[in-house]
Amino acid sequence: MSALRLGVLILLTLVVQVTVFADVRIWGIAPELLVLFAVMLGYWAGPQSGPTAAFVIGLLWDVYLPTPLGLSAIVFAMVAFAVGTGGAELFRDSKVQLAAIAAVGTFGAVTGYALLGEVMGQRGLVDLEMLRVALIAGLINALLAPLTRPLVAWALGPTFGLSGAGDIR
Amino acid sequence: MALAQRTGRARHRLILLTLVAMTLLTVDLRGFETARVAQGYVRDVLHPVNSLASSIFSPVGDIWNSVFQYDELEAENAALQQQLDALSGAAIQAEADNSAYRQLLESLELPYALDLETVTARVERGPVGNFASDVVTINKGHSHGLTEGMTVVTGAGLVGRVDRVDGVTSTVQLLSDPGLLVGVRLVSTNDVGLGHAVPGEPGVFIINQGPNWPQISEAELLPEIGSAVVTDADSRYTADVPIGRVIEVRPASDELSLEVLVKLANDVEDLAFVSVLITEQRAEPPLLPVVPSTSVPLDLDPDLLNDPNAGDSGGSGGEVTQ
Repeated sequence: MSALRLGVLILLTLVVQVTVFADVRIWGIAPELLVLFAVMLGYWAGPQSGPTAAFVIGLLWDVYLPTPLGLSAIVFAMVAFAVGTGGAELFRDSKVQLAAIAAVGTFGAVTGYALLGEVMGQRGLVDLEMLRVALIAGLINALLAPLTRPLVAWALGPTFGLSGAGDIR
Repeated sequence: MALAQRTGRARHRLILLTLVAMTLLTVDLRGFETARVAQGYVRDVLHPVNSLASSIFSPVGDIWNSVFQYDELEAENAALQQQLDALSGAAIQAEADNSAYRQLLESLELPYALDLETVTARVERGPVGNFASDVVTINKGHSHGLTEGMTVVTGAGLVGRVDRVDGVTSTVQLLSDPGLLVGVRLVSTNDVGLGHAVPGEPGVFIINQGPNWPQISEAELLPEIGSAVVTDADSRYTADVPIGRVIEVRPASDELSLEVLVKLANDVEDLAFVSVLITEQRAEPPLLPVVPSTSVPLDLDPDLLNDPNAGDSGGSGGEVTQ
């Protein structure tokens, strides 16, 4: 894994999330691009390296959120670990599979963030709106997931066996 | 065997990450200044990149909003046209009423927008993420004299308060956040109370508690519909900043006290520029010592006892206000 490339990818993702998706919303919901990359890194880099990268993504995201530092970081790391462990036995051979993992991972990260936030004393995170956010963000990320693969492949480098787009049907 | 070893190492690493995250959470929740400063530095370092990206990508947001929110824009345009027509008709009337308006302001003693130092700021972006909808980021920070808790206004009235200050940007907690309590004064009755935005009802503010808050039987204490509501002098905001006008007075759910509904003067969901009032801030509303009405405080200036006008301007000085 190239730390420099990964750092560039994470920073670019953060900038796009903070600037573009502050305005661009779908049904009032901002796409959770950082969650998507955390899930994808867990999926492609596996349970050992994926959670660490996801943790860094979450930590940077926490800097911009009003919730306490470390909340997104811990949730992203756990989701990346779950995806990495669960996806270890998969063939990783279809876009549908990738989309489903992105959707489930995003749903888990959004609800996990809200639930843990409530436990930490943040108010108003858990309600029906949370479910709407999780469902729509999951759907958006499912559609975006195949597009992220070349970027993740570039960031992780050849040692992870990702040669860019083209392997999955 | 190898797979089990890898999984074991991954678990150990996850446990380590969890411990680091729990430490950070504890440090942040306990309000350690170092953690806040470090986060501020990160935001400041990334600010030029974000600004550049904002200017590059702003057409994307504009195009997106114009395509997918066209109906809303059309309705907004129609409403604005109606307002414009009404305003042009009212312009002549307003000129005639201007002197009366000034007199009214003087009579109400609203010092709002008089000799206060202000810093004008541009709203850089709305909320980031999906769980903090009632904040905006403005392009002024510590280097422009802003500190946490300062009152943020527009010409129409209160917008919110400065929540987080970095070097060159700040985050403003908007009045539309139901968690933001504001000490208010009802101008028509001079009652003071605590109010907050109503969840799910944009632009509506509710006041339902306060010292000596009117009970349902005290009809003579009801504020007039349409009367003004401003920030209270003892709140943590600059005094007498307009909040809105009373639109309804109704019994509270306990059927004993009253709730006052207020239409906010500001549309905080559509802000481009705001002004920050540069004043000294109080982190919390002051709690004055409670003095029984029949006693004389030990530290009372004896001259005040001889001056019959001494207590007229300050209200009931010994009470806990809010």
